[in-house]
Amino acid sequence: MKRTVPLMIVMVGGILMMIQYFIPHQYSQVVFDNYTEWAPIVGAFALLLGVGSLTRVHSHRIKRKAPNWPYSWAVLIPLFGMPFLALIWPESLWGGSDSPSVFHFLFMNIQVPIQSTMFSLLAFYIASAAFRAFRAKSALATVLLLSAVIVMLAQVPIGEIFGPWLQNTGLWILRYPNLAAKRAIMLGVGFGILATNLKIIFGVERNWLGGAGE
Amino acid sequence: MNFWDKMLNIDRRWIFLAIGVVTIIPFLIGIGMPITTTTEVEDIFDFVNELGPENAIFVAFDFAPGTQAECMPMAVGVVRHAFHNDVPVFMTAYFPLSHGMMMAGFDYVTNPSIDGYYQVVEFAEWAHLREAGITTKAELVTEWENAGNVLPDNAANWVFEGRDYALLGYAPLFHLVILGMTSSIANQYPEDANGNALIEMPMLNEHKSLREVDLALTTAGSSACMSWITYAREKIGTPIAFGVTAVMATDYYPYIQSGQIIGQMGGLRGAAEYEVLMVENDVTESTGKAFRGMDVQSADHLLIILLIIMGNIAYFAGGAHKRHQMKGRG
Repeated sequence: MKRTVPLMIVMVGGILMMIQYFIPHQYSQVVFDNYTEWAPIVGAFALLLGVGSLTRVHSHRIKRKAPNWPYSWAVLIPLFGMPFLALIWPESLWGGSDSPSVFHFLFMNIQVPIQSTMFSLLAFYIASAAFRAFRAKSALATVLLLSAVIVMLAQVPIGEIFGPWLQNTGLWILRYPNLAAKRAIMLGVGFGILATNLKIIFGVERNWLGGAGE
Repeated sequence: MNFWDKMLNIDRRWIFLAIGVVTIIPFLIGIGMPITTTTEVEDIFDFVNELGPENAIFVAFDFAPGTQAECMPMAVGVVRHAFHNDVPVFMTAYFPLSHGMMMAGFDYVTNPSIDGYYQVVEFAEWAHLREAGITTKAELVTEWENAGNVLPDNAANWVFEGRDYALLGYAPLFHLVILGMTSSIANQYPEDANGNALIEMPMLNEHKSLREVDLALTTAGSSACMSWITYAREKIGTPIAFGVTAVMATDYYPYIQSGQIIGQMGGLRGAAEYEVLMVENDVTESTGKAFRGMDVQSADHLLIILLIIMGNIAYFAGGAHKRHQMKGRG
């Protein structure tokens, strides 16, 4: 039962939405509208399930004093603290509507700098990795290296001191060889997605069910 | 260990220090190197430039704080351009975090401390004008100023919430929200992020679904932008434009050639090009953050290329490649 019901829902839902796409009729549109109204609501409940699961995992870690358990507090406190602050203190820190709310203040001054800093570190690691690993070891590696240097220079204003040929060559690499390679990869991925989707809809591929009912 | 081996094994902290120095100095000096524009960005600019008050666009903030350095100037640029031409703008967010980015981007465009900002008139403030049936932008500005409101000297224009913009924000399973908006925007967003009823907004009454919207620009740091192609462009033909990070830009050239997107802003360079086009066409008086950032990117790219060349010289001159080959055979 635990396997049959989800399989049936996926099969009926998948086939229905596939057929709906090709039927320009009022009833078909009603099905479509109902689906698009209900799906985000179901999605919101899935979010609750995720929060519940995360809370359970981390509260168990804290109870069992598992390795690095204090970090679990770093998950749980913001997880409940931010929505709590948004609910009980929706106004600004200093009152009035001109200054940001507590929630927005914390988001802009904690979350944003943390994520921006993490992403900025890439610049340092890319430079170090480029020095250590980007070698012209073979003909193909040399082509890759030269292409990378041309595209990098063509992307920045300082590249224009070498003349318009550099920017034109950089754009040519992006617009033709890059485009052809990307299209080939994307077609392969697209057919793969199509095949996998059909296998899921018709119940051939069942890994997404996990261990339910076993 | 000879000189070349020492160079190959240089402490990486020296490289980190070099990157840090090369990043900070151009910020302090402000070189302002000229930027030439590409057709990928010009096409987006020209498309937005042709629009007017009777049209509407979506600007989707589909990025998280990590990629805001690249994506935010693109979104801010297009919102400013639309406000300049009185084009109504719906703003959305793909992720919970991008909702905060949307609010931050809008705050930046409407910040009184920045010259050329747009002075907000909140939805409730002009309720009496709506009730009197005054909803066109030109009439609204006239009536609003006749009531004694004065546009500050450093402001570019008024923007009326519900007439010029709607902050729709984040909704769960956003790809399905896009799909739903192909039928009705108000069904997916009964209220905007500020709690205003969408059905009372004049811009919503003129543009009830994505079918009646002229452009959706998605600024993204992930493949979230693809949802706009799959669910809006391919289903109902909404024109789409991309503003994506530089590393992602290479992925989407096939969509430009196939005509599925009208253009693409790739990374900080794309945003800087849009800023240059806005100045050249008198939309703004000066360029913004992206243009300033290109000096830094120039210096960093040069340093990385220099490091690649030095690394290769040390590798081949020091004979490391021969040792590597022998090790491979052994």
